Amino acid sequence: MPSGDPAHLGRDAARVGCGGHGRGGAQVGCGVSEGGAGRVDRSARPFDPGLQPERTALAWRRTALALLVGSLVGLRVLPLLLGDGGVTYAVAGLGVAASVAVLVGAHRRYRRVHRLLTSGASDRAPIGGGLLPAAVALLTFAAGVAALALALGGAVGAGRG
Amino acid sequence: MTARRFPSSVYGVGSEPDARFTLANERTFLAWIRTALALLAGGVALEALGLGLEPHLRLAASLVLIVAGVATPVQAWFGWAQAERALRLGRPLPSARLALPIGVAVVVAGVLVLLAVVLA
Repeated sequence: MPSGDPAHLGRDAARVGCGGHGRGGAQVGCGVSEGGAGRVDRSARPFDPGLQPERTALAWRRTALALLVGSLVGLRVLPLLLGDGGVTYAVAGLGVAASVAVLVGAHRRYRRVHRLLTSGASDRAPIGGGLLPAAVALLTFAAGVAALALALGGAVGAGRG
Repeated sequence: MTARRFPSSVYGVGSEPDARFTLANERTFLAWIRTALALLAGGVALEALGLGLEPHLRLAASLVLIVAGVATPVQAWFGWAQAERALRLGRPLPSARLALPIGVAVVVAGVLVLLAVVLA
């Protein structure tokens, strides 16, 4: 894996040994003020000993995984409500595609965060951005509306009484 | 040159906060999204799996969970945007306004399922 892979960075974090990295203070990332701290490639060192960018990347992966698992379970469960039709496969396929898109988007996001934070002298780089979050929130909302329609439609269709 | 980030209501104001706060805000957003997915999965499963529960109560529980699951991504997005804005402006963070209703919904759904089991 190229440098920037979270698992790879753990070893470097232990080696750099930054102390006094307080909460909330505008402190510079590890290694910048150390001068002569060694020939470690700066782009391979984590910005933050708490590994927040890496934890965030993993949170994105967990979310993509939840989307993927939900889609695959939907593949099993939806036929019970919708019958064995193309709609089930379309919905599940959409969910799988979305989870892959989230994985790819999250990977690019992490690479950008890591690059910006390790290359600058400040821990206030323009990271983030609301496009991917908005897309994920919208997708989840749409899934919810669809689920609502499913539950209500199933109830009406079954002619409860 | 930095690319303009969406939305401008967030990134057009204030200044860059400590990256760690931004990342923590992002993880909070993702936690809400996973909560939403879990609520939706629970609500759909209740209706789809043909469990031997009292059908009216089961449907009610399912709808409560799904409605909560629809509200949760709303909390996720607006919570993220408002928090990011507050971080940029150095203002106190907003509370999660939909947390209480969503929590109540989960309790209500649980009671409904319990009743549906008992009255099956």
